[in-house]
Amino acid sequence: MLKLVDLVKAYRTEEVETTALNSVNIHVRDGEFVAIMGPSGCGKSSLLNIVGMLDTPSSGQYWFNGEEVSKYGERKLADIRKKNIGFIFQSFNLIDELTVFENVELALLYHDIPARERKERVKAALEKVNIGHRESHLPQQLSGGQQQRVAIARAVVAKPKMLLADEPTGNLDSANGDEVMRMLTELNAEGTTIVMVTHSMPHAQYATRIINLFDGQVVAENLRAA
Amino acid sequence: MLKNYLMVALRNLLKHKLYSAINVTGLAVGLATCVLILLFVRNETSYDRFFTDNDRIYQVAFKAQLPGRQVDHFAASMLPLAAAMKEGLPEVEMTARVIQNSVVIKQGGESFSETARAVDPDFFRIFDFTFLRGDRMTALDDPNSIVLTESMARKYFKDQDALGQTLDIDGSAPAKVTGIIPDMPSNTHFDLEIIRPYAAVAQAMRGIETNWGAVCCETYVRLKPGVDGKALSDRMPAWFKTTAPTLNSPTGNVVLGEIFTPRLRNLKDIHTDPVMTSMRPATSYAEIITFAAVAALVLAIASINFMNLATARATQRAREVSVRKVVGASRSQIIMQFIGESLLLTVIGLVLSIALVELALPAYSAFLDKKLSFNLFTDPLLGPALLGLALVVGVAGGAYPAFFLSGFNPARVLKGASSGVGGGSGRLRMALVVVQFAISISLMVATSVVYGQLLYAQNKNLGFEKENTLVLRGFPRSVDQARQQTLVEALAKLDGVVAAAGSSSTPGDGSENNTNVRLPGANPDQMLVLRQGGVDWDFVKALGLQLVAGREFDRNRPADQLPPLADPAQVPAGDTAARTYAGAVMINEAAVKRLGFASNEDAIGKQFEVGADDDGTNKLTIIGVVADFHFRSVHDPIPPALFVINRDRFSDVLVRLKPGNVQKTLVEIERVWRDMFPNRPLNREFLDDRIQAQYVREAKTSQMFAAFSGLAILIACLGLFGLASFTAERRTKEIGLRKVLGASVMDIVRLLVWQFSKPVLVANLIAWPVAWYFMDQWLNGFSFRIDLNPLLFVSAGAVALLIAWATVGLHAARVAQAKPVTALRYE
Repeated sequence: MLKLVDLVKAYRTEEVETTALNSVNIHVRDGEFVAIMGPSGCGKSSLLNIVGMLDTPSSGQYWFNGEEVSKYGERKLADIRKKNIGFIFQSFNLIDELTVFENVELALLYHDIPARERKERVKAALEKVNIGHRESHLPQQLSGGQQQRVAIARAVVAKPKMLLADEPTGNLDSANGDEVMRMLTELNAEGTTIVMVTHSMPHAQYATRIINLFDGQVVAENLRAA
Repeated sequence: MLKNYLMVALRNLLKHKLYSAINVTGLAVGLATCVLILLFVRNETSYDRFFTDNDRIYQVAFKAQLPGRQVDHFAASMLPLAAAMKEGLPEVEMTARVIQNSVVIKQGGESFSETARAVDPDFFRIFDFTFLRGDRMTALDDPNSIVLTESMARKYFKDQDALGQTLDIDGSAPAKVTGIIPDMPSNTHFDLEIIRPYAAVAQAMRGIETNWGAVCCETYVRLKPGVDGKALSDRMPAWFKTTAPTLNSPTGNVVLGEIFTPRLRNLKDIHTDPVMTSMRPATSYAEIITFAAVAALVLAIASINFMNLATARATQRAREVSVRKVVGASRSQIIMQFIGESLLLTVIGLVLSIALVELALPAYSAFLDKKLSFNLFTDPLLGPALLGLALVVGVAGGAYPAFFLSGFNPARVLKGASSGVGGGSGRLRMALVVVQFAISISLMVATSVVYGQLLYAQNKNLGFEKENTLVLRGFPRSVDQARQQTLVEALAKLDGVVAAAGSSSTPGDGSENNTNVRLPGANPDQMLVLRQGGVDWDFVKALGLQLVAGREFDRNRPADQLPPLADPAQVPAGDTAARTYAGAVMINEAAVKRLGFASNEDAIGKQFEVGADDDGTNKLTIIGVVADFHFRSVHDPIPPALFVINRDRFSDVLVRLKPGNVQKTLVEIERVWRDMFPNRPLNREFLDDRIQAQYVREAKTSQMFAAFSGLAILIACLGLFGLASFTAERRTKEIGLRKVLGASVMDIVRLLVWQFSKPVLVANLIAWPVAWYFMDQWLNGFSFRIDLNPLLFVSAGAVALLIAWATVGLHAARVAQAKPVTALRYE
């Protein structure tokens, strides 16, 4: 699915250059569930942003589905992203002005899908995360766990090949956290590749592989039995 | 997708009510202001376009350069011109002259003074006025016919059909109504109510019918189809030089072609080309453009509000933008979304502005004395024009925020939910606030200067007593001199009257009579033209003029008066001595200078010659000099003038009243008049009213300017209020911390107020030089003008600052008074 070769990401301010990722080499195969762990500031989020094509590397290669995308411009990246990648965030990032249904539908609006089909797919996605009964509510009217379920529905409604989750349980209590992890495992079982950044070892255990980052470098990789 | 955009936009509007209200109100007021100004501009530029042949109808206008006088432009011409043009210029198809005259109409035992216009037969063939009754082509064929406007017809015939009825005009043969036309629309330069054929005044005009020196009518021509009016206009001066005769007078030859330069003004341009002697006040292009510019500036201020508030609130939309990007929106889609939102807001503003315009239109039309129409259903251009306006404002206001908002980095925004935005746009916002206030301050300065000049003009010492001076107008010229004298004497004897005097013209009446003067020993080619006034014994007292040298006319010295003209039959040809009449003359200070005397005193006792009406010569001795006084608006220079006792030319009587009990005196004057002229209504007005009337239009222009400037400032303040409220909200945490650390409410208010004082102070630095330059240019157009006072500029700046303080301060005080704990819980 994706391959990072000697990937470097450096941030420059006027006087200081900070290397967030230093010669990272990672290979994620189709259908894998990879957890990325590491202390704060180790480069987890930078890595996820590049993998999600929200940011570009300073150097190195990024192969996605056999295509080298590291030099692509924003327009091309947006197109690949739209077709292949779904995102789940720690802070849910639902749009306050839109209802649950509309938030999920948003992910289909940029895909030229007819309204009727959109409706069906949104309803199916919402049912899948057990939040169908709340489709006309606004995000503020939901609990944190419910909001994250909506976010998951939004991430999967366009049927992406890969799901990127940035600390998806970080803002949730343990019961809701476990529920979210169960859903991710289910999605993975259905064939979706998942790359997840997490601080929680118990939640990392749901993954098939754990990659540890430290100071921008991959320091350990543990393959886990599924 | 569109539905989603619309939904998000509407929900955002509802959620951020203050922001939406400020934007929509600002846009609505801005658009309404703009629409009102543009309605005015459209009306001003639509004059006379409703006449079918407007492209080939022209009016002859003249530039006059009298020796020693500044150049004058006027729309009047000489009676023989029309026929000469028809004969000498093959391009001319038809001509028509229009001559104004005062008439007295008697109806049902009552007499009314009216202003009528006598026109040539082709007038209604050139100008296709709608005839409600009667036949346009033949209406004026009969010398005793008359055409009335609807209002006039109603005035004299109430609800009856006026067509075919007769009116008694000036006691001559009854005039038969042969046509009724609608009242003049507001967008024509014509001011017509009663129209008669030229034949009706031919007798009165006989004396000047062939006189190329008497400027007394308007001349219109219709050119043959395909004729280039501009080219013909360019040829007019040369043609005029060869056509207009040289006037030979005993005091020198006057080459009219050198004094008068004719040109053709297309009918459509007449209203926007101000000259003297227009039937209705004209508006210069410069003035129209100024108002259009104010409209654009007001809109710019409203658009800036939108830009500023949209970018300031960007953080609140950052997450939405980022999520949209993450799920696949391209930057151009986001840009379109935000421009769309801006358009939506503008359209809401537009709908409100239409309501505002509808509300304001009746008062506005009444104020401008115009019939301005604003009807979306009957005016096919209006709808598209308004939508176009909204489109321009929406895109102009929305483009920058759209580019700014669409540029967010979703990775950073979504991680921290609020990071990665703000930055450089804060400086731009302040720069835009500077622009808004620079515009506002400039408009404030401009308004003050325009008002200042107006007040100066209205209150300037005009050199005569305008208070309590009554002008009895339309003094019957036909009346013999003895009765004139009796009337003036009877008026002078009244208790409440200081002095009374007949006069050929009075200040502010716009008429002018000039004469060629020759100093003894001067070269006959050397022309010295002075304005000539025929006055009465007490004219200095009646006008309250200041005598600066010599003496006034003295009725006990008969030699002060010109002797009666000799009977030409009794004087042998060539006997110039018999046709030389000695008399006394008074002049003004400008004439002292023009005639080259060393001082006012030096002029006394000196002599010069002026042509007499029988081609003889008046040899005049200067007996007195009066201080300069204004004949016309103070905007015009004071011409050199001479005054002689000459009752032939009296048209007005000046009556200076004693202050107090004026009403009683007016009643007595009315009685004296009625006793002498029972069939002629007394037409009187106070001189100061007439003087003020000269400035009515300027006063209106100033008021309009002030109102629109006020609105501009209001909109700018709305934006500042929005920005201040946003800043206060954003700095809540900082404010809380400052308070925890010991800051007082006053400290906090000062902090916020200072933040918004800076752009206003900087705005002054831009506004002052710009306003100074333009207003100095404007004032240079006046012969008598105020000086630009730096204090005025400082005051405008101070007012802007105070308004800004008041706007921001209230907000700051509220935020500063909140408990610090509330502030610290923020976020």
